[in-house]
Amino acid sequence: MNHPAMVALGIVAVVVGGTLAFALSSVRRFTMDPQQYIVGGRSFGTIFLWVLMAGEIYTSFTFLGLAGWAYGMGAPTYYVLAYGPIGYLIGYFTLPRIWRIAKARGLLTGADFFADRYASPTLGLFTGCVHFVLLVPYVTLQLSGLQTLLRIAGYGAIDATAAVGGAFVAIALFTFFAGLRGTAWASIVKDAFVLGGVVFAGIAIPLQFFGSPAAMIDQVLRAHPHWLTLAPGTAPHGAVWYASTVLLTAIGYFMGPQSFNAAYSSRSENTLRRNAMYLPIYNVMLTLVFFAGLAALLVAPGLSGPAVDQSFLLVVQRYYPPWVLGCIAAAGSLAALIPATALLLAAAGVFTKNVLGTFGIATSDASRTLATRVLVVVVALLALILWIVFPSTLVGLLLVYYNGITQFAPAVVAALFWRRVTLWGAASGLLAGLLLVIVLSAGNVPLLGLNAGFVALAVNAVTLVAVSLCTPRRALQNEGPP
Amino acid sequence: MLSLRALLTIIPIAALTVAVPLVNRVEPRILGLPFVFFWILAWTLLVPAFIWGIGRTERHW
Repeated sequence: MNHPAMVALGIVAVVVGGTLAFALSSVRRFTMDPQQYIVGGRSFGTIFLWVLMAGEIYTSFTFLGLAGWAYGMGAPTYYVLAYGPIGYLIGYFTLPRIWRIAKARGLLTGADFFADRYASPTLGLFTGCVHFVLLVPYVTLQLSGLQTLLRIAGYGAIDATAAVGGAFVAIALFTFFAGLRGTAWASIVKDAFVLGGVVFAGIAIPLQFFGSPAAMIDQVLRAHPHWLTLAPGTAPHGAVWYASTVLLTAIGYFMGPQSFNAAYSSRSENTLRRNAMYLPIYNVMLTLVFFAGLAALLVAPGLSGPAVDQSFLLVVQRYYPPWVLGCIAAAGSLAALIPATALLLAAAGVFTKNVLGTFGIATSDASRTLATRVLVVVVALLALILWIVFPSTLVGLLLVYYNGITQFAPAVVAALFWRRVTLWGAASGLLAGLLLVIVLSAGNVPLLGLNAGFVALAVNAVTLVAVSLCTPRRALQNEGPP
Repeated sequence: MLSLRALLTIIPIAALTVAVPLVNRVEPRILGLPFVFFWILAWTLLVPAFIWGIGRTERHW
């Protein structure tokens, strides 16, 4: 291995190892029952929760993918900047209510919410299975992000596959011991590194190459006059696509199973409200990633295909010393690994509670914690196998993930705000939405420029309302927020 | 007549979705950013203020 690769990869190894050791030592004094392990004992205050939520939401895919879009597509990237704030605004109304119900009824997973509100363990089982199936490829996606980072940090000198496998075994073991509280502590370090990396990439690089970010944008506009404005109307990735995608993604923002766990971990309702207020500030960082992608477009033009995601890393690799590359790659690696711990935990928790639990397996506290821990490792291995066997189908799966997760939104919102909703209404809306997502993703049908998931969501909501009004309003067993 | 709380919710959502095609221009550039870019960034920073306002109308703080 050559010298620069050793410096860069050494920094990555020390930072990741140090972060995991720090987080493990911080959670040592807690005894792990399922409440503590899966939802942090419902005790997180505003700052801790802020860090955890930011830690889960902003993954390596956010950073690499966003820079890649700025490099490869230009203006459509705006949607990534815009959906977060709307997601938080919606979360301000939904998360405190979800928390109140979860606290009163002892809910541990997102699927628990459906089982409890609609008084149907079968719906819980179904939701649990869908969540599980959607989570595994999302974990796998973090693996391929990590692979990109390590390959560049190794200057092409190492076999990244082995390193990725090693890193993944490490975080599976970490999650086995540390639980959600460990994810939150590790997120503190992750956020600090990511902040540093993003400021460097979005401010220092433009300053050095162009004099200022504004001068860089002048150059982008000179070379590509339409790069920073949306195509009009129903054009592909045009204005209609933008607006529908922002709305869709914002509605799905807190619908991921790992988001339910994060919401449950809050200390109080107001903690969640304050979080919704503070989290948009984190979103400003994404602007800087956008700048980094634009800088790469001018400094290292000519990349295409999946390589655009590596654009700004290649600039760092080519023009900066190995230790800078090491720090950036370390930030990126944490952004892949720490959210992955939350995803592993959510997938393992949902399988234990809603799949095994529905069949009466592992229902005592002690066996439930043990089963969740073992499943964390199993899910990590599943994701690893999926990554090795089907590396190329991933991006397609991610689109299905996000569109699929969003289909749970109507049933959640109705459970919180509409007393007339019935189990049949929620279930048929959900089924219609999920089936449409699969059909539309496979067929790639153009729909007046609208995002396909948006169409499925509309059909889902209409079905929910129509079927609910046609089915008798059986008093739900668990009436109202207790 | 919409309540203040409803207005505080709807305005930022509209500003970041349906209003964006209306401001989809490069000029006037503000802080060096194309106007549409600045618009989205500005609303990102305004959302906390709107959420604060909603919390006030609901007497949470």
